[in-house]
Amino acid sequence: MTWKANRLALRQGSLFPLCASTVAGIVIITPVLVIMWRSFTSGKMGFTVDLNVTNYLRVFADKDIWPMLNNSLVYAGGSALLGTGLGGLLAWIVARTNTPGKGLVELMPLYPLLMPPIMKNIAWILLLAPKSGILNGMLEQFLGITYPVFNAFSMAGMIWTFGIACVPLGYLFLLPVFLSFDPSLEESAYIAGSRPVHTMLKITFPLALPAFISAFVLNFLRALRSFETPVLQGTPGNIKVFVSRVYDSMALEFNTGLATAYSVVLVILSIITLYFYVRATRFSERYATITGKGYRVRVIDIGPWKYVTFAAVCLYFLAGIAIPFVVLIVVSIIPYFDYETFMTFPSHMGLNNYRTVLRHASFLNGLRNSVLLSVVIAVVTVFVGIVMAFTIHRTRAVGTKIFEFIGTLPLAFPPLVLSVGLVIIFVGTPLYNSLWALGLGLFVAYFPYAFRNASGAIVNIHKELDEAAWVHGARWRHVFFKVTLPILKPAVGGALFYIFIEAIRNVDVAVLLTAPGLEYGPVTLFEYFRVGQWAEAAAGGVIYLIILIVAVSVAKFAFKMKFSL
Amino acid sequence: MQWNTMMVMAIALSANLFFAPAFSAEKAPAKETVKEAAKAPAAAAKKAGGQQVKSEAASATATAKAAKAYAQVSAELYPKAKQEGNLIVYSVWDVEHLRVITEAFMKRYPGIKATFWQGRNPEIVTRALTEFQGGQASFDVVLSDNAPPVIRAAGGIMDYNTVQRDVLYLHDPNMATVSLQIQALAFNTKKIKPADLPKSWEEVASPKYKGMIALDDPMRAGPLSSMLSGLKTQWKDDARFNNFLRNLKALGVPVHKSTSAMFRLVISGEYAICMPALLHDVMEEMHKGTPVGYVKTVPPVVFPRQAGIYAKSPNPNAAKLFAEWLISDEGQKTTDSIGRETSRNDFKSKTSIESAYGKNMKPLPVIDQFFLEDPKAWLDKFVKPIWEG
Repeated sequence: MTWKANRLALRQGSLFPLCASTVAGIVIITPVLVIMWRSFTSGKMGFTVDLNVTNYLRVFADKDIWPMLNNSLVYAGGSALLGTGLGGLLAWIVARTNTPGKGLVELMPLYPLLMPPIMKNIAWILLLAPKSGILNGMLEQFLGITYPVFNAFSMAGMIWTFGIACVPLGYLFLLPVFLSFDPSLEESAYIAGSRPVHTMLKITFPLALPAFISAFVLNFLRALRSFETPVLQGTPGNIKVFVSRVYDSMALEFNTGLATAYSVVLVILSIITLYFYVRATRFSERYATITGKGYRVRVIDIGPWKYVTFAAVCLYFLAGIAIPFVVLIVVSIIPYFDYETFMTFPSHMGLNNYRTVLRHASFLNGLRNSVLLSVVIAVVTVFVGIVMAFTIHRTRAVGTKIFEFIGTLPLAFPPLVLSVGLVIIFVGTPLYNSLWALGLGLFVAYFPYAFRNASGAIVNIHKELDEAAWVHGARWRHVFFKVTLPILKPAVGGALFYIFIEAIRNVDVAVLLTAPGLEYGPVTLFEYFRVGQWAEAAAGGVIYLIILIVAVSVAKFAFKMKFSL
Repeated sequence: MQWNTMMVMAIALSANLFFAPAFSAEKAPAKETVKEAAKAPAAAAKKAGGQQVKSEAASATATAKAAKAYAQVSAELYPKAKQEGNLIVYSVWDVEHLRVITEAFMKRYPGIKATFWQGRNPEIVTRALTEFQGGQASFDVVLSDNAPPVIRAAGGIMDYNTVQRDVLYLHDPNMATVSLQIQALAFNTKKIKPADLPKSWEEVASPKYKGMIALDDPMRAGPLSSMLSGLKTQWKDDARFNNFLRNLKALGVPVHKSTSAMFRLVISGEYAICMPALLHDVMEEMHKGTPVGYVKTVPPVVFPRQAGIYAKSPNPNAAKLFAEWLISDEGQKTTDSIGRETSRNDFKSKTSIESAYGKNMKPLPVIDQFFLEDPKAWLDKFVKPIWEG
């Protein structure tokens, strides 16, 4: 049945997307299979006993993993909900309301993306630490509150820091949906007497559900495997998360097999999460907001509330980047950080940390390689991601739902585990120690972002648009390039921007695939974060952020480049 | 790319996938070593080489002898190393430090092109052993602290006994100790008075310090676990060791997985005492005027940083020459210039034990080979039952 259906689908011109998705699927699944194979080997690095289930027996006999899993689920669920919810709200404000200062407002939720998560961790620790944190210090100094109100080393502190970092992804995923809305859906509600808020809750938000779940799944998986926040904020608060078992297996035991077996728990969680996503979107027509009837964005006049929404965007901008950025700037120019020195900062200024960073010859040397590779990776992953999403949702080939899982699977593995799989594949081949291996590694690592973004967006396009083209005898390329891709333009811009920003600062996946002597990325800059030299890291981070902010602003205002709108 | 090249790559990739397990055959001796270590740590340490400690300053004769031996070995190795032409170093050291070190080496020995790859210890071990299992002659030297003994335990290090061994504070007959990691008991001078400070590592576990201490996670292969290993070796008293651990646990203090981040929090005033901090970090901050200090009566923990020569090194002569040069007077000066502690007894620097603690200080060396080669097994055996029990 399946074979017959596929033969029919191929005759109808789905050969290329199906083949391209299959090739991409093989590239993505291979390192995953290799590390899965490793999980069935015991022993440690350097000697191996093949084919046994020792690692799994250890994982499931580990009584500590249940409280850890519980912590992980609370942390990942909380962060993803905060980030995706807030991102969605900001996307709705920007796309659908008459909030003033449009040009600025549409960009404000994106700037926090430029700040690497570890910079945010450090900034929020400095702000929220119980005894030495700036906010607790201010409460004590100005209001006499001696009890530490804020605690960076708590579950709430962890969810706040990572959740805030998840907002841009939620925003990027939901903005295209709110921008590409068939107005008749809401107009019908208005004609039936529904008020704007009611319409928003009953019509607008439910229709954005696939993109919301898609972003939620990504943010959830990112949080589940994130390591910096649990290490820097969780460990001092005695909050142990599951992923630390994966890292201990690598860092303490040097046992890839065991690390992978622990990662398989993350894979199972990912598959469960994806299963819910696939179920929620199985009748994709329900969520189609872009139909053949043409669409234009209807901006809702929210009256004086527009100032509230403007304030909300500004508040996020403050929390997402402005306050952490200012804290880091101050930390980078004072000799050392403690509350007293911070508060008397103008009298203790110095540029030594900047001199230290700029003296490093490799600071800018690696930038060329990483910029080039990041651009290529962003373009390739986004294109292939759309082709795979197109294959699943638009071609008539049967069994393509499997790509839904394959395309997201790399996200379930912590970067170090994933890169081990890539090294095992490449070692001994001419690709090893070349830019090709590094490029393929980054492709595998970032494909889930491109794919989930495209998958969420494509569900919102009604099939009637391409069906009209199919009926008129169009081949897949006509449908893809003339119908689907132009409608997906906002989502494509957002994904390109996101993957470029993420790839340019990637160290975790790239580190094992970088050849000796090859300088990739602003290695020196991130090395300060890796070794915990906060003042120098802050100085380097400020320089890095200024470069990116200037680049984005110039691209946006001088060259009229659109990242999301 | 040519079609036939792609075919070769595809075949090589497939072969890698399906025949990777076959590489495990050549790792059997390493397995035995670790097994033996788990059963009888002392015997295994002896077999693997073991660390030798020379705490007294090297005599003038030893210094002269080392200089002569270096000159001879340099003259012998350089022509062969020049013929090899390359040197590839895997290291945990900062990129800029590696740049300075390799450039100084290339200047001293023209004709040898030195390149490096930098990663963290787990990344170094993972990469080195994956390449070793794959039979790759991919690098020459691993320059690090935790990584070389672990790679050696897996059979990935070639034995090399340095000719300058008589002047080393910590000497391993199989790998050259080129630098030392020195851990100190640090404190925030604004948060605790000198009179109230603990006088020993053991006193840190006193209940009066509850709420003041930042502790490195004893269950990771970090500074605190290496300190515990050093104390256990020195005390030779299990009851005392277990009691110390119990008291430390009873403090209920937060533990940290990043020593540097923990030290920053001590500077910020979140904690008063840092157990432990790296001496060169403390010295650097003191030099900048940061309100931190270290307790001079508490013996520093000394951990070897080694240059291990890869078992499948494509340039073994260049690798040996590099290890010898790092220990030579010129190499030690270069190491000191980047702020890293030197490994020779006869080399004076601001971070040497003698200048930081005085002549009479007896440091606490980390020499338990069982701990160095398999920290996880060691922690499971001696620390976990008490810490997580």
